[in-house]
Amino acid sequence: MNVMSRLLLSAAGIVLAGTLPASAAWQPRKPIEFVATAGPGGGTDNLARAVQSIITKYKLTDQPIVVVNKGGGSGAEGYVYGKASAGDPHKVIFGTSNAWQQPLVSKVAFNYTDLTPIAAIAQDEFLLWVKQDAPYKTVSDYLKAAAASEFKMGGAQSKDTDEVLTRMIEKIGHIKLTYIPFKSGAEAAVQLAGGHIDSHVNNPSESLGQWRGGMQRPLCAFSPKRLPQGPKITAIEGWSDIPTCVEQGLDIPQYEQPRTVWLPGKVTPDQIAFYVELMKKVQATPEWKDYIEKTLQVDTFLTGADFDSFIKQDLDHLKQVAAEQGWLVK
Amino acid sequence: MENLHELLHGFTIAVTMPHLALMVIGVLLGILVGVLPGLGAPNGVSLLLPLTFGMQPVSAIILLSSMYWGALFGGSVTSILFNIPGEPSSVATTFDGYPMARDGRPTTALATAFGSAAFGALVGVVLITFLASWVARVALAFGPPEYFAVYFLAFASFVGMGGAAPIKTVVALAIGFAIAAIGIDTVSGSVRLTMGVDELVKGVSFVVAVMGLFGIGELLVAVEEEVHARGVSSKIDWREVLRAVVRLPRHGIALLRSAAIGCWMGITPGGPTAASFMSYGIARRFSRRGQHFGTGEIEGIISPETADHAAGTSALLPMLSLGIPGSATAAVMMGGLMIWGLNPGPMLFVDQKDFVWGLIASMYVGNIVAVALVLLTVPIFAALMRIPFVIIAPLIVIICVVGAYSVSNSYLDVIMMLGFGVVGYLFKKLFYPLAPLVLAIVIGDKAEDAFRQSMLLSKGSLGVFFANGLVTSLVVAGLALLLLPLGLQIAHVLRKPGERKSIAPDSEDTTRQKVRVT
Amino acid sequence: MISRRALEIATAILTGSFGVAVLVSSIDNGIGWTAAGVDAGTFPFVIGVIIVVGSLYNLARGYLPGGTLASVPVAITAIELRRLAGLFVPAALFVALIPIVGMYPASAGYVFTVLALPGHQSLLRSLVMALATPLALYVVFERLFQVTLPHGAFAAAFGL
Repeated sequence: MNVMSRLLLSAAGIVLAGTLPASAAWQPRKPIEFVATAGPGGGTDNLARAVQSIITKYKLTDQPIVVVNKGGGSGAEGYVYGKASAGDPHKVIFGTSNAWQQPLVSKVAFNYTDLTPIAAIAQDEFLLWVKQDAPYKTVSDYLKAAAASEFKMGGAQSKDTDEVLTRMIEKIGHIKLTYIPFKSGAEAAVQLAGGHIDSHVNNPSESLGQWRGGMQRPLCAFSPKRLPQGPKITAIEGWSDIPTCVEQGLDIPQYEQPRTVWLPGKVTPDQIAFYVELMKKVQATPEWKDYIEKTLQVDTFLTGADFDSFIKQDLDHLKQVAAEQGWLVK
Repeated sequence: MENLHELLHGFTIAVTMPHLALMVIGVLLGILVGVLPGLGAPNGVSLLLPLTFGMQPVSAIILLSSMYWGALFGGSVTSILFNIPGEPSSVATTFDGYPMARDGRPTTALATAFGSAAFGALVGVVLITFLASWVARVALAFGPPEYFAVYFLAFASFVGMGGAAPIKTVVALAIGFAIAAIGIDTVSGSVRLTMGVDELVKGVSFVVAVMGLFGIGELLVAVEEEVHARGVSSKIDWREVLRAVVRLPRHGIALLRSAAIGCWMGITPGGPTAASFMSYGIARRFSRRGQHFGTGEIEGIISPETADHAAGTSALLPMLSLGIPGSATAAVMMGGLMIWGLNPGPMLFVDQKDFVWGLIASMYVGNIVAVALVLLTVPIFAALMRIPFVIIAPLIVIICVVGAYSVSNSYLDVIMMLGFGVVGYLFKKLFYPLAPLVLAIVIGDKAEDAFRQSMLLSKGSLGVFFANGLVTSLVVAGLALLLLPLGLQIAHVLRKPGERKSIAPDSEDTTRQKVRVT
Repeated sequence: MISRRALEIATAILTGSFGVAVLVSSIDNGIGWTAAGVDAGTFPFVIGVIIVVGSLYNLARGYLPGGTLASVPVAITAIELRRLAGLFVPAALFVALIPIVGMYPASAGYVFTVLALPGHQSLLRSLVMALATPLALYVVFERLFQVTLPHGAFAAAFGL
């Protein structure tokens, strides 16, 4: 214990003096639980822990924060837990678009309407990746080759964001793809490097190391404009050198995965306002910018009506894809 | 030789006073989380992670990896002393470690486990040092069919062993598979076998199952039969620790074989748990004293422990060189790498030489620090065996209850743990084997995923398992291991047609007889 | 007193009913093996069948005279049953109390009951250990590893 307390002390030493007093009317009265709907080390877990460390560092609230991992069932465990905690404003659920996508395609015992949306605070981009030594240099080469022989597309999980995007590529590119679901994007990346699949649609951070190492390369980015300029990744290219998919003739202008923050259902407007303010303060810190940059995400802040309409829009689109694929649960 | 030069440079980074201090802190915390079931290295590492954001990456990874070593060692302690495996990979250690401890030799059991674990870890580090690039290439050759073949091989090496009642073995194995299938299915995304309990969507945690099956189950058997541990000498005996460690080289073949299995399973996707089971199964089959396994055999401890640590160590290599985490802890560390601004991948060895070689050097030093610290604690842990049963029993109950709860803060898990306790008791009483059940819970769903991914790739054809030399040889080796004992048995029966094959009592039965204090 | 036969039969029925449950719920997930892959329910279905068939075999072996492996007719004697209950019943009560009074009071009460009531330990020693247990749990879990143990419905009612 002695050792631990010394460690904690040294961490406390790092804490800066400057603190922002929280001004919302409602204040938490007991320790706050951050529920990460992912296992330790997952993207959502890292986000929850980054937010936790920023709040602790700047003392944005008087109450201690504990991160709890409930990543079972592709995150369903965490959402079900959130649903069961209705009325408890001391539990904050960190998730993704899974919150509204999962109930649509599998019989999970929750829906996003059981939770109170707080904000979407970061977005992950998607890219189309192929093996380094693949013969195609452009998206149209890829589509041509894929039309000739059925390509194998890997991705994380089933009927989830990766597969939805795969089905969109199929439809818009007029090709047929065999989708192979793996546990994670990292696994799909290794399968591509080993030549067991032909392509995948990983987030930048999931395949960055392998791009640098000359094992795989991106063909295009599913975003409206090119990714922000950063340091060069390989000897000649950086993120902004990747064309958008629209530039390359694959008409999918935008596909992103938001990281979302929720409270359980049946909380008061005061309580919602407190957490919205809290997330805003977190986003204003340099540590947050640093985290976003290092994990290659896009900084966003959607709350209130904006967030609601974002969900509606995404849901409408997903319903269409799911209906075409026959995924909708009866 | 370039690697050797880099390694020496790495030592100059790793062996400094602050880094040694971090190693000691990490190892001690690791032992603590390892000893407490329910808390594991992933918990400890993710808890320390925010504290490392301000550190140099190399210092941070030394702290975290030392914690990992400590937890690997600590996980064996409760397996041996109380039959409660703290980590999935230390289940196989209970098979002989616990009987030996009950037999009045907890010091020998612990020291043997730690000594062979350190050997396994060192072999793993040597492999990383000299064969890093080769190993990375090997790992890439594994697609879904090869994954499946590796899991199949692990099952075959373990399940093929003759048990008391084959049908009971089959039932136990199938129940394990069914438990592994509960929750969301990776390949289809659908919810399976929750049987109306919403919370079961998260699946059944392995830790919850083994704490019930082994911990509570064994407690019930012990209280019923009034079996108490044979008196442990009250003097703290350091010589016994030393003697056990010095005796290890006599089992050189078992050590080397287990280290090889461990490294192989660490590089390929098998992982430490499958490695320890496979190593135990193979040792039991090929050891001269194979029939004594399960009663407290030295090699029954050496084999799983060496393989576990060899695999646990070499599993860090795919993380660094490819960015695939070989274990849950490696996944957390990878998250850390990202936040420290490093990107795991092939270029890490080129871009971040100081970091990589500092880490590798710290693996040598960290493991030595860990084994030294852990050997020092042996007599203390062994002394726990002297606590009277009436006191230790409620403590074990509390540890299992809190452990089951802390896996995912769920009360349902606690109730399931108690249920598994009753099942564990019944199964032990009636000689249903627990090991195949546990192995199926741990790797059953992974094997199923790999199989179904292969079927997607091959459009439903089984030919994919004979598509190339690698997968064919894995499958053939698995089939051979599975069918060999069967063939031998048939030959045996044919040779002596008049003699009705008597069914040997289950090994666990003999244990109980031997240990019983009258 | 429970006979070996009864125990074998009970266990076979237990495993068999689990098998039936697996089998039935797997049908919901779809069973099939086509060029489009293997359906989610296929393996659970096959496994359910294996469990049911194996359990029926074990049931028959347990039921038929002379079919059991061991020749002991009695598996659990009355005195053994009492010892089993002595361990299991308090443990089950302890678990049942957790959601109501919380982990800390429940564990203290449990330790005190099992040590003091059968007279294994003196009252004072039992009391000391009963108080030390929740304290140790609090320090290790709540403080050191930030795992919140259940505080119970009572505590929640007081807003703790």
